[in-house]
Amino acid sequence: MVVRNYNEELKYLEKINPYCWRIKKGFQPNMNVEGVFYVNNTLEKLMLDELRNSCRPGMTGGFLPGVKQIANVAALPGIVGRSVGLPDVHSGYGFAIGNMAAFDVSDPKSIVSPGGVGFDINCGVRLLRTNLHEKDVLPIKEQLAQSLFDHIPVGVGSKGIIPMNARDMEEALEMGMDWSLREGYVWAEDKEHCEEYGRMLNADPSKVSLRSKKRGLPQLGTLGAGNHYAEIQVVDEIYDKYAASKMGLERTGQVVVMIHSGSRGFGHQVATDALVQMEKAMKRDQIAVNDRQLACARINSVEGQDYLKAMAAAANFAWVNRSSMTFLTRQAFAKQFKMAPDDLDMHVIYDVSHNIAKIEEHVVDGKVKTLLVHRKGSTRAFPPHHPLIPVDYQLTGQPVLIGGSMGTCSYVLTGTHQGMTETFGSTCHGAGRALSRAKSRRNLDYKDVLTKLESMGISIRVASPKLVMEEAPESYKNVTDVVNTCHAAGISKKTVKLRPIAVIKG
Amino acid sequence: MDEEMGGFTHDDLIIPPVKYEYLDHTADVQLHAWGDSLKEAFEQCGMAMFGYMTDLAYVQIKEVHTIEANADDMMGLLYHFLDELLYLFSVEPFLICKKLVITEFNTEEFRIVCKCYGEEFQIGKHPQGSEVKAITYSAMQIVDEPKDNRFEVFVIIDI
Repeated sequence: MVVRNYNEELKYLEKINPYCWRIKKGFQPNMNVEGVFYVNNTLEKLMLDELRNSCRPGMTGGFLPGVKQIANVAALPGIVGRSVGLPDVHSGYGFAIGNMAAFDVSDPKSIVSPGGVGFDINCGVRLLRTNLHEKDVLPIKEQLAQSLFDHIPVGVGSKGIIPMNARDMEEALEMGMDWSLREGYVWAEDKEHCEEYGRMLNADPSKVSLRSKKRGLPQLGTLGAGNHYAEIQVVDEIYDKYAASKMGLERTGQVVVMIHSGSRGFGHQVATDALVQMEKAMKRDQIAVNDRQLACARINSVEGQDYLKAMAAAANFAWVNRSSMTFLTRQAFAKQFKMAPDDLDMHVIYDVSHNIAKIEEHVVDGKVKTLLVHRKGSTRAFPPHHPLIPVDYQLTGQPVLIGGSMGTCSYVLTGTHQGMTETFGSTCHGAGRALSRAKSRRNLDYKDVLTKLESMGISIRVASPKLVMEEAPESYKNVTDVVNTCHAAGISKKTVKLRPIAVIKG
Repeated sequence: MDEEMGGFTHDDLIIPPVKYEYLDHTADVQLHAWGDSLKEAFEQCGMAMFGYMTDLAYVQIKEVHTIEANADDMMGLLYHFLDELLYLFSVEPFLICKKLVITEFNTEEFRIVCKCYGEEFQIGKHPQGSEVKAITYSAMQIVDEPKDNRFEVFVIIDI
């Protein structure tokens, strides 16, 4: 790592407009392209503070600030355009979280990196609507929250309740949501409102280790822990009436359910296995990177292809997982309201992935190119008329689901043409951590956090008490700042604001 | 299960002192463990990970399982050792450990054999702590300085 003082470091950064900073070449060694990050005044301070702290003499903590990580990604072979930091960016493993980067598939030197996807492959957000109003739910809110908590297995050590054996698992990995549909857990139209229609076709379960499958099997249909959650929310504000009505969101107070989860132990193990393989491939192919954590392999190498096939299987696992929880959510609502999920209009509005790598076509320097787009803590946000978004959203742009932290708002955005050209159709994914978990536990009190949530009218069911502090809103960047920055920068457009009334967490 | 319940000797049930702590990291957590030997620091590091998943006071020693880890270097050995422990928790026998005893600690061929004492994780009996997604090499450090009697390890786990 280059050692410079903070003021020297700042010379490599340039604010090009109120929401966007440029990272010039030379900030880190061997940058092939420039970096860029989107922040407003508040987020800018957090970003630069992180850099300043790492420049203090004697800092040997060993983890790099997000802005340095964005620059290291810009030095990876085959990267095109710019290495992009979204407003919720913070330091991660190799890539920053909230980092996207695209690699030219036709360039034989281009790489794929598991660190650019993350351990929780196809972690994502799904939003279900209902035709209920807040006032229908309030009288039985506690029972409903409890019922949801009883239906969905949450937290460390929990096991799935969807019956599954090893053969089912192989099929699920290959078929994704088509498996869920065949087994009767989802509705046919759910697939339509899902990235990739809930199935990556290049998934190959034979490229997945037995270890991953064994870790995945007991966890299918579980929510997980950490920042994962299921929330009952209500529409708080509608910014774009037309787009909202296309999503079936007609009025404030309308009840929706948001599910944030990923591929569980299965994806974690796929990523772990791939990192080991890639260390070997890097030595063989002499791929030089700035940071050992940026383990990668050439896209067209055996390791690269195997990872993409295993990653696709993990992505399918995640969709089956979210589908299983969709099923359980519909059951919980149906029981409480004594109505069929159909009659409650519990359709999937959309399902986004915010930890994934995908082959996409983009225009680079006026030419159409096939790129491998890594989005880690970043959500795809395709504009209106894009061929890969469903018919229902052709005129509005792809719905983008941004989950807030516990007790704060969430948002629905839509993709824009400007986002397509500036960030390869990518935007933020959530709030992004601001405080470390240990600091949250030291500074916040369990009771205070719960009292505050209660005063906001939020019911909470959480498996692990320490998560209450770790996941408190104070531990995160303000999601409203993050979303407003994306909106102001034009890389996506605000459609609806959602407010939680009940939270279920690991 | 290697040994039936009740087949434990008195020594098996002695719980070693805690020689680990959790350090700050923005998104994840850093385990810091130490001991009178590198072997002990490794054992403590494993316990630090289990201690983050539940409150170990609620865990009893009811079964023992043996794991093996192999690697090409010391960091790799620490990584794979923890990964094997995480795997033991994630699949059958779903073991949450109360105590680890490394019976073979080979720093030349980079091999560990470890006896893991504990019981099956049960929601309701064991408080749910944080879920560990993966072990990382991020900022990993192994301090092995016999002349100063300093044996410490630092590992960031992804949670």
